[in-house]
Amino acid sequence: MNIWEKMLNVDRRWIFLLIGIACVVPFFNPLGLPILPSAEVMGIYDHIEGLGPDNAIIVSFDFEPGTAAENQPMSVAALRHAFARNIPVYVTSYWPLGQAMAAMAISELTDESLEDYFKYVEWEDWASIRDQGIVDRAGIEEAWTAEGNTLPENARGWVFEGRDIAFLGYLPYFHLVILGMTSSIASQFPTDVSGTPLEEMPIYQDHKSLRDIDLAVTSAGGSACVSWITYGREKIGLPIAFGVTAVMATDYYIFIQSGQIVGQMGGLRGAAEYEVLLKENGYNKGYGKAFIGMDVQNIAHLLIIFLVVLGNIAFFAGGFHKKTKLKGRR
Amino acid sequence: MTETIGLWVAALFTIGIYSFLYKENPLYRLAEHLVIGVSLGYNIAITYTNVIQPKLLDPISSGEQGAWLLLVPAILGLLYITRFFPGVGWLSRYPMAFLMGAGMGVGFPLSMKAQVLRQLEASLIPLYETGMAWDVVIGNVVMVLGTLAALIYFFFSKPHKGLFFGTGSKIGIWVIMIGFGATFGFTVMGRISLLIGRIQFLLGDWLHIIE
Amino acid sequence: MKRSIPLAIVMVGGILFMIQYFIPHQHSQTLFDYYTQWAPIVGAFALVLGVGSLYRLHSHKIKRKAKNWQYSYAVLVPLFLIPIFALIMPESLGGGIMQNMGGDRVTQGVFDFAYLNVQVPIQATMFSLLAFYIASAAFRAFRAKSALASILLIAAVIVMLGQVPIGELIGKWFPKIGLWILRYPNLGAKRAIALGVGFGMLATQLKIIFGVERNWLGGAGK
Repeated sequence: MNIWEKMLNVDRRWIFLLIGIACVVPFFNPLGLPILPSAEVMGIYDHIEGLGPDNAIIVSFDFEPGTAAENQPMSVAALRHAFARNIPVYVTSYWPLGQAMAAMAISELTDESLEDYFKYVEWEDWASIRDQGIVDRAGIEEAWTAEGNTLPENARGWVFEGRDIAFLGYLPYFHLVILGMTSSIASQFPTDVSGTPLEEMPIYQDHKSLRDIDLAVTSAGGSACVSWITYGREKIGLPIAFGVTAVMATDYYIFIQSGQIVGQMGGLRGAAEYEVLLKENGYNKGYGKAFIGMDVQNIAHLLIIFLVVLGNIAFFAGGFHKKTKLKGRR
Repeated sequence: MTETIGLWVAALFTIGIYSFLYKENPLYRLAEHLVIGVSLGYNIAITYTNVIQPKLLDPISSGEQGAWLLLVPAILGLLYITRFFPGVGWLSRYPMAFLMGAGMGVGFPLSMKAQVLRQLEASLIPLYETGMAWDVVIGNVVMVLGTLAALIYFFFSKPHKGLFFGTGSKIGIWVIMIGFGATFGFTVMGRISLLIGRIQFLLGDWLHIIE
Repeated sequence: MKRSIPLAIVMVGGILFMIQYFIPHQHSQTLFDYYTQWAPIVGAFALVLGVGSLYRLHSHKIKRKAKNWQYSYAVLVPLFLIPIFALIMPESLGGGIMQNMGGDRVTQGVFDFAYLNVQVPIQATMFSLLAFYIASAAFRAFRAKSALASILLIAAVIVMLGQVPIGELIGKWFPKIGLWILRYPNLGAKRAIALGVGFGMLATQLKIIFGVERNWLGGAGK
């Protein structure tokens, strides 16, 4: 067994160890290299930037915990952008396990121990303001602060449950639910996940069906996002933005070029680009998990390329391309 | 306290599953089984509280107008259970037929629009316009010819010979390989991202040695 | 009764709703609304099939003391316990996870505990195992044996370098070429594949609607 053969037959657990080290060490020595946002991600950012309190969007958690490392930062970024601009958001989920991912994202953005959080005002807490018949966003906030509520120092803004957010959650056969929402959102979701009737919510008064929605951001771990195009975009022209795992991202460039989606966040890089845009434009003081993750990704990618090159050198230098069979355990 | 216990349980499972990289072991097997039970159990709970209760039981019990009509989907749905009784198992085809037939009918024109017509339309673009950067012009040519060539490659009703089918399919496979290369590159990024996510949990949420 | 009526339901439903798309008359819209409201209710019961099959499989395993039968309890116990906890503590359905809203993170219910600390870490870690295998595959299987394999490899390396910030340090053109590959040749290939899949899907849908494809009927009650 020559050296090349020995190298190619190395116990794969050594390679496992190498990749593990390559993903741990950079956390302690960050490179801090800049990430430039691509046109695909800026398409989504600009679209949301053009919206305000009179519009409404959907942020759909169409993934499960398996791909949360990629998908969750995208959804969190889109939600943050919407909360900061007081854009009403319907939160839905294509899969049952996605509903709790949505809960975790809302929880993260409203966590009072974190910088730049949003102070969550529960439905019952601002009942008196609704009773006064105040419906516009600025009026609600004004009345709320007039009641003696002040925004905590670390907080970026208020999120009024039922006006700024309606957490609708999961329903089975979600592609048909999308279709149903083209007629009426309340017919599909009579209540939010806590049981509050949708028809009583201020968000619903101006946004009764998908026809009244200005963007659906779907963060998907599989092909669920395509259902939003098929049943939302093609049925009523609903603008769609994709947040997809890197594995799927290359397949969906066709939808960007065809104009069926306004943009796409592809994998952790896409999420990091959105985080950069949020920070650069003052929506967040720091970066999120995706940006930090991309810093670590640098070394891992270099290692993988190194392994590919090394494997090929050993393969050709060892003459295995001339049909010399590799011996030993692989 | 619960949160701390939770973090330790989560960390134990994370490390337990990574121990599989060294050798298959009971902790991995336990995790593998638990994940199925928990996810389906969660699914049952969510389906009950999100669908059965608000969309079926509540309207019927509160006597909403026309709520009795909901008995139709409820009975249809219940027919699924007959699947477990050999004599009447065929009844479970009725709810399947209800969902599938109409679902495909609704979906057919929309899928055709989304995945065929719009894609064909998007391939018919001007390759050059004044002011277009040269890389975009080359790109457009590559994209349009690439689509055509790759379609020829997948067309198996004619032998891949001659200028059109022969050369076309050869160009097609080259374009497809570039596409697969891009997918591989992205797949690497995706897989590493998931690993980074877990390391962020272990080093950050659990051990608090990184931010 | 056993085959013809389900096939007829599929055909009538399929044709009716295809026409509905082109004639959005008030009556057809009402029909459409009923269908989309009922579909999740009917679909919800389909879960019974999954639960039933899983229960049968694992209870048999336990009864027969098959290999690794003890682990079947790890499937069955949460399968039934979690819905029970959800029923007796319904506020923990999402509400529990969100309990830190308002500052004080109160103890989570069993339901959320299982999701946050069992489901999330196990599922996420299992998916992340693939990072190790893809690294191993990169070393062992990714060979530039032919011109076609080489072009795949080159495209992959450029795209990989283009996606990470360090790529730009190595060569300014990596991100540019990487994006160009994604936007043009990759798009061409993927569109051809998507068209193939699209046509195939449409053909299958038509075959099912018109009863040519009947595999979905399964074997029950032949």
